[in-house]
Amino acid sequence: MPVVDVDPDELRRLTGHEEKSDDELKDDLFGLGIEFEGETEDGEFQLEFEADRLDRLSPSGIARSLRYQYGDARGVYVPDTNDADWTIEVDESVPAERPYVTGAVVRGLDMDERDLEAIIQLQEKLHATMGRKRAKGAIGIHDLTMLKGTSAVRTDERASGEGERRAATAGGKSIRYVGVEPEADTFVPLDADRELTPAQVLETHQTGQKYADLVEDYDRYPAIYDDIGLFSFPPVINGRRTEVSADSRDLFVEMTGTDQWTIDKMLNVVCYALDARGGQIENVEVAYPDGAVVKPDLSVDEKELAHRRIEGTLGIDLSADDAVDLFERAGLDADPKTVGDDEVAYDVAIPPYRVDVYHPIDLVDDVGRAYGFNNLTPRYPDVSTVGKRTEPSRHEEAVRNLLVGLGFEDLLNFNLSSEGENFDRMGLDPDDAVLGGGDPPTILEPYSEDFTILRTWALPSLLMVLENNTHRQYPQDLAEIGLAARVEESEETNVAERRTVAAVMARHDASYEDAKGRLQALARNFDVALETPPTSHPTFIEGRTASIEFDGRSVGVVGEIRPGVLVEHDVEVPVVGFEFDLAGLR
Amino acid sequence: MKLPGQQLAVLEVLSADEWISIDELAAQLDEKPETVTGAAFALEEAGLAEVREETETDAELTAEGREYRDDGLPEVRLYETARELGADEAPLELGEAIGRAGLEGPQVDIALSNYARKGYGDIDGGTISAASSVEPSADEEAAALRAVAEGVEPAQDPLDSLVRRDLVRVDERTVRSVRLTDDGVTELMAGVEEAGTVGRLTPEMLASGTWRDAEFSSYNVGADAETPTPGKVHVLRQAAERVKEVLVGMGFQEMEGPHVDADFWINDCLFMPQDHPARTHWDRFALESPQQIDSLPEDLVDRVRTAHREGVGPDGDGYHSPWEEDFARELALRGHTTSLSARYLSGEQVGELEPPQRYFSVEKAYRNDTLDATHLLEFFQIEGWVMAEDLTVRDLMGTFTEFYGQFGITDLRFKPTYNPYTEPSFELFGRHPETDELIEIGNSGIFRPEMLEPLGVDADVMAWGLALERLLMLITGFEDIRDVHGTLTDLEFLRSVEVEY
Repeated sequence: MPVVDVDPDELRRLTGHEEKSDDELKDDLFGLGIEFEGETEDGEFQLEFEADRLDRLSPSGIARSLRYQYGDARGVYVPDTNDADWTIEVDESVPAERPYVTGAVVRGLDMDERDLEAIIQLQEKLHATMGRKRAKGAIGIHDLTMLKGTSAVRTDERASGEGERRAATAGGKSIRYVGVEPEADTFVPLDADRELTPAQVLETHQTGQKYADLVEDYDRYPAIYDDIGLFSFPPVINGRRTEVSADSRDLFVEMTGTDQWTIDKMLNVVCYALDARGGQIENVEVAYPDGAVVKPDLSVDEKELAHRRIEGTLGIDLSADDAVDLFERAGLDADPKTVGDDEVAYDVAIPPYRVDVYHPIDLVDDVGRAYGFNNLTPRYPDVSTVGKRTEPSRHEEAVRNLLVGLGFEDLLNFNLSSEGENFDRMGLDPDDAVLGGGDPPTILEPYSEDFTILRTWALPSLLMVLENNTHRQYPQDLAEIGLAARVEESEETNVAERRTVAAVMARHDASYEDAKGRLQALARNFDVALETPPTSHPTFIEGRTASIEFDGRSVGVVGEIRPGVLVEHDVEVPVVGFEFDLAGLR
Repeated sequence: MKLPGQQLAVLEVLSADEWISIDELAAQLDEKPETVTGAAFALEEAGLAEVREETETDAELTAEGREYRDDGLPEVRLYETARELGADEAPLELGEAIGRAGLEGPQVDIALSNYARKGYGDIDGGTISAASSVEPSADEEAAALRAVAEGVEPAQDPLDSLVRRDLVRVDERTVRSVRLTDDGVTELMAGVEEAGTVGRLTPEMLASGTWRDAEFSSYNVGADAETPTPGKVHVLRQAAERVKEVLVGMGFQEMEGPHVDADFWINDCLFMPQDHPARTHWDRFALESPQQIDSLPEDLVDRVRTAHREGVGPDGDGYHSPWEEDFARELALRGHTTSLSARYLSGEQVGELEPPQRYFSVEKAYRNDTLDATHLLEFFQIEGWVMAEDLTVRDLMGTFTEFYGQFGITDLRFKPTYNPYTEPSFELFGRHPETDELIEIGNSGIFRPEMLEPLGVDADVMAWGLALERLLMLITGFEDIRDVHGTLTDLEFLRSVEVEY
């Protein structure tokens, strides 16, 4: 979850609640679902956010939510927007993989370094969350005064095929979103001091290398031009020419991506943050080859929510007035109405910065937060059910108790292992048609080379425990009941999972009889007939290895571990052991 | 009469005229004092001897006391120096007297405070004067210090002040002495025989009846024996069993299901968008082999796809994310056991479920991430859910208050949070039973309509989950989960760790 650094003084200033102590602020933030994680060296709060309320990723966004919570602000707020002066022309050459663009102009900002930092932070957090690390949406913010865009094709003319460059309908100024050949043009990217082609950016520039995989398969790379030339290479990096500083007063915000809704919502979040800093939002026309649209889309969405759904979810009685009050304190507007047989419902207006409202139930959550969930009184539900364990679970516990009664230390090892531990060090090959053989399910991108497969048997885990405890007191009698798995095409998931019982006895005088005797005890207590015909297994000494047959079914193997396997595990005492399918004892 | 050998031996060395101490008797008889004490009390009970108890004090010098025994008490040294320097005639500079007396560190304060207390003279404004009438060699405390050092009984008052000054340590002990009673003398005159004692009770004695006349010798029952290493259920399993017992007691039934499962059951059924950051390849535990599940219920796939793309209900919105069945079929190690809940709620696992229902599992889930003291690649997830016609947030709160209260975690707080498959959603915080801190103890919520409708559930379902390891660490104070779980475990730790119940 994203963590954002916020100065508590700024929150006090932005909310107008200078009297709030740090602790009160933390409590209020907790109520909003924002967790205080710690403080930076400069005394800023490090706040952890959930991925739903992206509109709170900036100090101004948090302050807005707090003002609603305090009752200082009510209802839906939508900033005024001025008419479009600029157009983003979308060229046919734009890569098909990244067809969408949106934008806004914001004028009249008066920022200091901290404001600028907050905007950069907001941009990064939006990239990390909704933008899916820039794959789905990428933000470019430019200093408007550095853009030159006097000539453009009138959208209506271009749509009709008249390609002459002229002032667009909007205000006459335009930039162009196009696709360029990787080596076809150059620009000076941020954090560089020379002209690079987009292909060179991906190869040599730090940021370029980081985001190269987003575009390197494209035939043409996304690029944005003004009259002077290439100034942005989304979603990778902007050009230095249009870099924003604290002195920038007018900004051009553009976003490209794979989904129009997503980038429009990201844009709304940025616009609200800049509006809160005194900026005047100005529309931008986006001229797609098949028609023009006006952005940002600050339209207010509406959903219907039944009153009884609120009461039924929160477990409290509310009057309609109370409900409307709570809606407004959540930054929503609600119109009560009667539907059906005298039932109250609300048309709820949802502000355009909200990206988390998929269903009316999300509005119930908003009402609950405004009410304060911790003001609800817990009650134990008046619902009667009968509890029980599954039979395999009870059986496993019974076998485990018997093993413990036989003196075994019950162990709990990882189901994940590696080919080396599971096969090689046990002298086993996956192709061996014995217990432990077979193909293991393998992990696609293992985090560690120690955990690359699901184990096919559990004895290797016990040998590893013996290996790590040679300095501890003997005898070491260890047992484990756990998962083992192998690839098995007859299964629905193509993996056969089984509960396996494994045990080892490491002691200076360990012999086959010790293991066999314990098996006999298990068989007798679970009323199964045990037979142990001789067999071969590469982990066990030839002539001292038997197949375990419960009621005539071969379910496992018992024997003395080969000296080679013991030496491989640095074990200096003889070890006997067995392993069998837990289900064999049922 | 007959007496056990030890009692008889004691009786024979006792005198009617003289009290003999236990230590002395033990030395004479070459027995342990506790054996003799036991015999003496037995004799007293038989009326043959009487036991007298007296309290004796042993005084012993502390390290500081030994130092002063050798160097002299600081205040005496200061006085003697001051006299030598003529402070009995005219006050002189205090620093000089201290320096000449060789006093350093804390001894300076000790010297000054006792100097005045003992009337050796005045210390005022950085000067020191010495009274001429004092005879330092007659200092009572110094004398008592010497007496203690030499093992001579010191006078009580100065001894008390030496104890207060932490120069002498006094231990009290009970000294028992024994002498014969008249009956004892009479019996001895009449003649006492030894009754045989028995070391070990044998099957033969039981069979033959000789046990009736046997006297059993006493063991030193306070001594340590060798500690056996019992077989023992793993401490994390013990915790799992305890959780299961609590949940069964609360009316929950256990779920079971595959560790390797299709992403459909792990994520898609939970309304997790396919481009959710947690579903990127580096966070999933995707399998290289095998890669896909054979079959998914077609109708359910359609409903889930529709929910993702269009949402549910007239005012529902879908995700603005791609949804591919191919991805849904991919296999992975389950990242949470909520995949089991999805299977059960869908009716795939045990048939259609009618409300009310309560289900749980305490089973392994997997996370493809770095290992540290609190996180492993595998952990046990406690997963539970309640299905009923009408459930409210208050029911959810009441259920968790009850559950966590079973483990001593009280004062629950509910932090509203975001979770793709629940709304409202809460992170649960509770008061740690030991540290009293507010700590995160789980995640919970009411399943979203976008999850329940495709699964065909027409009731409310509330659910919660937390890592068993976290609960264990909270209730036991374990700090490193790697000691507990996995092949790096220390057998000594498992053998000595306290049992959970």
